[in-house]
Amino acid sequence: MLSPRPLSVIVPVRDGSATLARALTAILASELPRDGYELIVVDDASSDSSAELAARYADTVVRLTMRKSGAAYARNRGAELAQGEVLAFVDADAMVRPDTLPRMLQMLADQPGLDAVSASHEQTAGAPNLVSQYWNLLLHFGEQVQAGTGGNVASPCAVIRRQVFLSAGMYDEWRFETARLEGIEFAHRLEDSGRNVVSSTDLTITGLKHWKLRSVCSEVWDRSALLARSLGYQRTRAAVPSDVVFTLSRALAPAFAVLCFVAFSAAFLPTPNAAAKGAIVVLGTIALNFPAYRFFAKMRGIPFAIVVAPLHILMQAINGLGLCAGWVLRDAVGDREPDAATQAYAEVGVEIWPPVPRASAR
Amino acid sequence: MDFSQGIAMVPVSAEISPTADRPSQAQAFADAMVMEKPEDRDTSVLGFDRAKGRGLPRRTPRVSLIVVLPENHVVSPDRLAEGLRAHGNQDVDVVVACAGQPINLGALQRSVGDAQFLLAPAGTSTEDLRELAMRQVPGDIVTLLSGALLPTAGADTSLLMTS
Repeated sequence: MLSPRPLSVIVPVRDGSATLARALTAILASELPRDGYELIVVDDASSDSSAELAARYADTVVRLTMRKSGAAYARNRGAELAQGEVLAFVDADAMVRPDTLPRMLQMLADQPGLDAVSASHEQTAGAPNLVSQYWNLLLHFGEQVQAGTGGNVASPCAVIRRQVFLSAGMYDEWRFETARLEGIEFAHRLEDSGRNVVSSTDLTITGLKHWKLRSVCSEVWDRSALLARSLGYQRTRAAVPSDVVFTLSRALAPAFAVLCFVAFSAAFLPTPNAAAKGAIVVLGTIALNFPAYRFFAKMRGIPFAIVVAPLHILMQAINGLGLCAGWVLRDAVGDREPDAATQAYAEVGVEIWPPVPRASAR
Repeated sequence: MDFSQGIAMVPVSAEISPTADRPSQAQAFADAMVMEKPEDRDTSVLGFDRAKGRGLPRRTPRVSLIVVLPENHVVSPDRLAEGLRAHGNQDVDVVVACAGQPINLGALQRSVGDAQFLLAPAGTSTEDLRELAMRQVPGDIVTLLSGALLPTAGADTSLLMTS
């Protein structure tokens, strides 16, 4: 045992009343003695009743007001209050299994050289609609393929030794005011400093968020653009290859190659035909994505794989465009920074609650 | 759950004797009763200094401690003191959320003189009490402390309890 109260579970939430109760109930149903951990919910200026809902279950509720500051900022505020020697970060739309947190703790206890463990997504999503099921399965696919490599030390669920978390400089709340890639960046930073981070495919959570087509498109665009702009594609891919951006872009370059090939070969077709060319492109893209489609078919059946094939191609197209946009922005504008007022407050060192986002320790 | 009815928040004052009998105590609570109105929620935090309420810039976070006491639950002064000590030298707003009427206030008064009481109807669940109290307290950092079920025999009379 690490200590009488070894664990602090930190749940950041923003307008999460639709899923928060299920997420917290699942944490409380963990196979851990209730007095063996503290549950801290950090409400990031929600406009709904998330804070009141959190109070039904939590030991501590932190209310951040004035402005929405992001999950990285919220997690950092929770970590500052935490008493546990190990910190667990669980998303407000993630449902842990009863053995997820105990097994994560056990891994840290059994392997002193291990600094952080991240869980992966189950193949089924909490929401029954097609887009949610597809998105969850896509995340699951990337995590399965890259089993054992570094994972996202934030979402959907990760545990880390408190001392390691603090010494690594916590999450980058300066650049990530949206919940996208702060866990990827943090895992990257940990790996750079020689820390041992493992993504486990055995430890799983169920994603509860109800994804719609628009929200998935937005997620892919934002993640891709942010990754290319702020983190660097190749370096991040080496550190955290299981991220969905890399899952989607793995076949993107070959897909463009197919397009070029088709365009080139079309010149030699006896009767140029748009439908035939289109069919060749689609078949080529499907062939290049065969591992993913085979995985979808294996998990959910061939009809599911056929139905989500166009969705997958759409996500890959958005992913490609997002990466390009990120690269252009990085070179034309530079990295992301908070607004001028925040930077000014931070520079002056104004002491205020909630605190001004801190510049990252990059 | 609709919390707009039957909820009162009262300060623990010198007039409320820990040894008073229950009818007079209930009368004291009734006299001090303040009904919450939804529109008051953000502008008038019951029993607390309005200037210290939420929404105003502060240098440090405001801390609240909610003690949750469903029916027949108790909290020991030691545990309460421990909860207060966790916040160091910070000022802490203490709110005791009770289902039913507390019958022994002496121990709590000795521990925290300026605690506020939130009285909910008997039978209100722990979760509802927590949510109700959370709506009332002004803290940026709110710690919730649950009481334990009342011991059946040899009970410590210094415990704060509800009936």
